[in-house]
Amino acid sequence: MRVAILMPAYDEGARLARTLVELAKHADDAEMTVFVVDDGSAERVVVDAACPLRVVLARHDVNLGQGAAIETARRLALDPRFGGAFDVYVTMDSDGQHRPEDVIALARAVVDGGADVALGDRFSGRSAVPASRRWLLRGARLFERLTTGLALSDAHNGLRAFGPRAIAELRLTQNRMAHATEITKRISRLSVVEVPVSVRYDDEVMAKGQKASGAVTVVVDLLQGFLFGGDRS
Amino acid sequence: MHPEITPAAVVLLGLLAVLLLHDWTSRRTRQRHLWVQAFVFVAGGVLIVFPEISRTLARSVGIGRGVDFVLYPLVIWLVRESLLTRRRRHEDEARFTEMVRALAVANAKIVTDTDPPRTP
Repeated sequence: MRVAILMPAYDEGARLARTLVELAKHADDAEMTVFVVDDGSAERVVVDAACPLRVVLARHDVNLGQGAAIETARRLALDPRFGGAFDVYVTMDSDGQHRPEDVIALARAVVDGGADVALGDRFSGRSAVPASRRWLLRGARLFERLTTGLALSDAHNGLRAFGPRAIAELRLTQNRMAHATEITKRISRLSVVEVPVSVRYDDEVMAKGQKASGAVTVVVDLLQGFLFGGDRS
Repeated sequence: MHPEITPAAVVLLGLLAVLLLHDWTSRRTRQRHLWVQAFVFVAGGVLIVFPEISRTLARSVGIGRGVDFVLYPLVIWLVRESLLTRRRRHEDEARFTEMVRALAVANAKIVTDTDPPRTP
């Protein structure tokens, strides 16, 4: 199974290196290429030459946002210079909140299960989701159901797997966190499965995670995309 | 109908004159638009000096105060300008993103290649 990992990184430092090492340990028979996009980190991302995975590194010279970094990684993953055709494309965060075992589970759901898209569902897994985050995600889930018509258990989980057909259609125009809603809109007509996953919530993850105030920014970004173009769906 | 030259009217007329001078000297606007602007500025000046005109016009279309007669179109114009500015910023951001991305993709490198993918 040839897996492309799309991994945005912003000021992750040592966490990125740890994530790559863990990913390599659990790769099993999967042939992984990790597309790391440094989204304008204050200190440039450097990948250790001893890293046991094939890593393609690109850098945004300015910070654009997670959605923009995922889109750049997507284009790199489809670029023939770096292999071109993979069996499955998985987006995951670089801060260590996602478990490598779940990456493989999602990839299998697409490659063996035949789904176009597999989404991580932290509420069915063993994640100890903090109460504040739980309420925020419930709101996001309701918002996406109303705006996209897709009823998901977990609206904004960064762990997602896409088959070749789905990734080709997933051209993201939202640079910041509104990309999650944009993805849900894009995949609403494809076959989607949800896979239970665990998300780690340590202090570092909580400090960098989405805040309630970010929800307002998401709505404003989506509205601007709707009014001024860019939102193709 | 008598002119009402109050201190506020003098300040507003001065401000209008500065704005008009700025637009004429910056030469960013096309000639035709400059004449339209000049007309708007002169009309504004007349309404400042002769507020009774706006009062009469306001009453004739069912608006109570002359100041509201001027304010309503002004608010509409400001909302339009605000939306246009946001749209320009949105389009500029999209272009900027593509430029940054193009550089990132062009300079992307395989930094570790321990297990190169086989041909499927």
